[in-house]
Amino acid sequence: MPILEIENLNCFYGNVQVLWDVSLKVEKSEIVALLGANGAGKSTLLNTIVGLVPPKSGSIRFMGEDIVNLSGSEIIERGISYLPEGGRLFPDMTIRENLELGAYPMKYWKSRKATLDMVFDMFPILKERQKQLARTLSGGEKQMLAMGRGLMSNPSLCLLDELSYGLSPLMASEVFDIVKKLREQGITVLLVEQNVRQTLEIADRAYVLENGRICLEGECCELIENDFIKTAYMGM
Amino acid sequence: MSNKILQIVLEGLIMGGIYALISMGLTMQYGVARILNVSHGEFIMVGAFITWMLTTMAGISPLLALIICMPVTFLIGYILHRTLYKKLKDLTPSAGAYEGNAMLISFGLMFIIQSVAQKIWGSSPQGYKYLTFSFKIGKTAIAVNRLFVLFVTIIISVIFYFFLNRTRMGKAIRASSQDPAAAGMMGIKINRVMAICFGIGAILAGIAGSLLSMINNINTSMGMNYTVIALIVVVLGGLGSIPGSLVGGLILGFVGSIVNRIDTSLYMVVFYVLIMVLLLVRPKGLLGR
Ligand SMILES: Nc1ncnc2c1ncn2[C@@H]1O[C@H](COP(=O)(O)OP(=O)(O)OP(=O)(O)O)[C@@H](O)[C@H]1O
Ligand SMILES: [Mg+2]
Repeated sequence: MPILEIENLNCFYGNVQVLWDVSLKVEKSEIVALLGANGAGKSTLLNTIVGLVPPKSGSIRFMGEDIVNLSGSEIIERGISYLPEGGRLFPDMTIRENLELGAYPMKYWKSRKATLDMVFDMFPILKERQKQLARTLSGGEKQMLAMGRGLMSNPSLCLLDELSYGLSPLMASEVFDIVKKLREQGITVLLVEQNVRQTLEIADRAYVLENGRICLEGECCELIENDFIKTAYMGM
Repeated sequence: MSNKILQIVLEGLIMGGIYALISMGLTMQYGVARILNVSHGEFIMVGAFITWMLTTMAGISPLLALIICMPVTFLIGYILHRTLYKKLKDLTPSAGAYEGNAMLISFGLMFIIQSVAQKIWGSSPQGYKYLTFSFKIGKTAIAVNRLFVLFVTIIISVIFYFFLNRTRMGKAIRASSQDPAAAGMMGIKINRVMAICFGIGAILAGIAGSLLSMINNINTSMGMNYTVIALIVVVLGGLGSIPGSLVGGLILGFVGSIVNRIDTSLYMVVFYVLIMVLLLVRPKGLLGR
């Protein structure tokens, strides 16, 4: 059974349809990439999964159960963690407070100290600076914090939206290394990326979204040789 | 001379503390729930009259009356938000339009609460005596009830600070004021947080009213001036900033205390001049970003 299974999803903002019959599957412990041009609807798809945008039709099943009408906090409690585009940290709160808020649902709040230690082990820089305000962090540190916060709810599935955006190539590689590490810890990853080459190198499978429709899907090792991908997304 | 300075400082601290309380209350309501609550002062009046009633009619000590006021004002605020404002928010298409409409509704509430209060409590000034003896520091006589009010203000501010900074709900409130959508992504129930913030704003107003009734005469039209003062402090301190409200409240308290020595009738005039100058010099407020 796939950990996440989306079927024929249709989404609208007002009268404008943004997602058309989108179907997608993520198996346990996979890294699945979602590629596509600006405005294709990638973030909308992730927003729909976590209940921020209600779909007009279609189904979203997580571990076999329908999650379409659950509240945001219920979805987090099922084990889905969402790292939104741009980090969306709380700028005037400390690193530690930002992390704690990742464990906001009561279920995780109680054990937040232990989870915090685990996150600090993974990102030692966050431990050193835990009293610092999030607004004062560098771009790379902010992404580390965003990832740390996403892990505070012990997720089994992480939805990552453009984590490498705006980072130096070195920092971006570090972020991709961390994504691989997540998988080693048994966390399944669905990631949206503009950095197509590196993404195809670390992911197992990928979907390409164009104007709100899935136009291509397959194993990354095959897609990396695909002519359409090469011309449209890797500038070759 | 030092006698006068001591009195000005004390008076500044006492009134500044109360201004800070009501301004922190308004900041909670505006900063998170996005309601510039023009009926804020009416909650102060209601707090004052509940305290007065409990003290004079039920014979309860004003301090106990203040404690009883807290859940009462919280519930009024919380329920108002859960019903009226929540409904309005769901029906209003854009956030900007909601802020405007919410303010209009609070205008309406101001008139409604005031007329109901006038029907119940009349329009003549009321008061009671509480800790009216005084003691002397050097040559300066200090009324014990005023010191008591200052003491309670400090305790409430400290509790409020710990609530916001150390508790789960406090952190959720701060997160919601900084980025409500992201707070929602963390699983924070934003509508509930907004209603709680509105309720907390009402509590702080109610406490301020209770305290005012211990040192001054009260009347059913007292609210408006305090609403204006809270608005001035909130703008002075930078919209939405809690430390800004604290500092702004104290500053206004001191300025008021000095002006009172010179000419009482200038009290509100000086405040308005201050805010105009500040808006021109530093439009974002003292601690605003
Ligand atoms: N809240 C919204 N209200 C109305 N339209 C929206 C909203 N959010 C997104 N859209 C529109 O939906 C479409 C898809 O947007 P989305 O953010 O999902 O794209 P994306 O693939 O994530 O793009 P990017 O790579 O730039 O992040 C765009 O045309 C966008 O303008
Ligand atoms: Mg996007």
